[in-house]
Amino acid sequence: MLLAVEPALWNSLTQYLINGLTFGALIALIALGYTMVYGIVELINFAHGDLFMLGSFASLSLLALLGFGGLGFTATMTDASSFVIAGVLIGCAILSVLFCAGLNFAVEYTVYRPLRNAPKLAPLVSAIGVSFIFMNAGLFWGGPQDVNFPDLISNDNLLGKDAAIRITYKDVLIIAVTVPLMLALTIFVKVTRLGKAMRATAQNPTAASLMGIDTNFVISATFVIGGALAGAASLIYAVSMNTISYQMGFQNGLYAFTAAVLGGIGRIPGAVLGGLIIGLVRSFGSAFVGEMWVNALVFGILIIILIFRPTGLLGTPVREKV
Amino acid sequence: MPALLTVDKLRSGYGPIDVLHDISMTVDAGEIVAMIGANGAGKTTTLMTIAGIVKARAGTITFDGQNLSGAPAHKIVRLGMGQSPEGRKIFPRLTVLENLEMGAFTRTDKPGIADDLEKMFAMFPILRERKGQAGGLLSGGQQQMLAIARALMSRPKLLLLDEPSLGLAPQIVVQIFDVIRDLNKSGMSVLLVEQNARMALRIAHRAYVLETGRVTFTDQASVVLNDPRIRAAYLGE
Repeated sequence: MLLAVEPALWNSLTQYLINGLTFGALIALIALGYTMVYGIVELINFAHGDLFMLGSFASLSLLALLGFGGLGFTATMTDASSFVIAGVLIGCAILSVLFCAGLNFAVEYTVYRPLRNAPKLAPLVSAIGVSFIFMNAGLFWGGPQDVNFPDLISNDNLLGKDAAIRITYKDVLIIAVTVPLMLALTIFVKVTRLGKAMRATAQNPTAASLMGIDTNFVISATFVIGGALAGAASLIYAVSMNTISYQMGFQNGLYAFTAAVLGGIGRIPGAVLGGLIIGLVRSFGSAFVGEMWVNALVFGILIIILIFRPTGLLGTPVREKV
Repeated sequence: MPALLTVDKLRSGYGPIDVLHDISMTVDAGEIVAMIGANGAGKTTTLMTIAGIVKARAGTITFDGQNLSGAPAHKIVRLGMGQSPEGRKIFPRLTVLENLEMGAFTRTDKPGIADDLEKMFAMFPILRERKGQAGGLLSGGQQQMLAIARALMSRPKLLLLDEPSLGLAPQIVVQIFDVIRDLNKSGMSVLLVEQNARMALRIAHRAYVLETGRVTFTDQASVVLNDPRIRAAYLGE
């Protein structure tokens, strides 16, 4: 009987829920980049996770430049005023978003576009190649070890020092960034001219061209938006986890890619749902099954869901009648 | 007066293979021109090359006084060319209304677009009934109507129609050909690709016969319709 559960367990369950949702929202933000790109060019952009990783190194370098430490910097930011920190965070946000959007644009333009009409395997292998190039760039940038990211935001519990449930400014930041971004993206795709052009191009690129849509421009825009979301995710990840490494793109990219497939790749709400499920499975899984089984659990659930719904949870494609 | 569309010694194809060899044809303003031929003769490739989806390898295409060489498809649409493509290519997860709105993508005159939407719904009442439904859920005939209406939403000077009768019930085919005839009476120029040669030749002014990427015969549609060789090869007599 759930009602008979003692308060302490309720508190733990609530805590796992909060942890799961915040991590899941972060993964969802990365997953959107996978799913949008797949939706429009049917390419699994394996470099997307590593793009996210490079975004946090870009923020870290800006922080170092501004005197907020850098590689090897460990102290907590306690002496700077909250205005300064807010300004610094906004600066980092602008940089990481522009950096990731620009880099994703450049990769699409130079690597994937020339392969637009090549067999699907060619851009896929190129994407894996770009992933490794990015990872090596991250290794060069940050070194082989975990790197501390300045702790710019307080870890204090918003519910009070002794409250049983812990919600920090970091949790609030994650939700305050991810939820509006996801809503904005959904509305953008639904109502704007470019958004409609994106949906049309995703569903039939030839027909979209025949409607007067510049499909190359639309594809570039998709990479730019996906990159920008990865940039935003990279900053809130780094700010809330305080540890980054050149390998973080691989692990989190894999989660995000899985989230996209789980929710139905190509579908924007699917990526969000998939991200939240993965976050929750990870959080409850590490509490009840054990940390070491978390990945097995996440991918086990992916396999089971795909067996019953091969197109993912929200992927119910309407078949085109021929 | 120069023709609306002039195709001169056009060559194009896919990969290492040339599909079209020196195709030349014209469409005058106000004409319905039919292009008939067997499967694989190059009819769809001709339309796709004219529309800029497939790149021309040699020859020239002139439309409304402009040389289209190298122009991308999305710019050619803006010059006034609309196409209902092979296989209809409806956007399956957009609603019927959204499909029609995509047809007007090049336009910004909102009242004019609303007017034309009404015209399309008057022309194909079933589209009004289904306007909130996903395009992919329509029947084949309804999708064909949607594809034609979508092409018309750009207010083209020249309408390219690729196999509008394919796979449709006979009474729907008659309905669609009536619409094509009415459009033409109100001034629309049409380049019509059809395997249903009899229907196409009945409404067309002139016709071209394509065989393995070459124009092998061209004349007034009535002459083509009564040519014994054409009757034997394409009309099953």
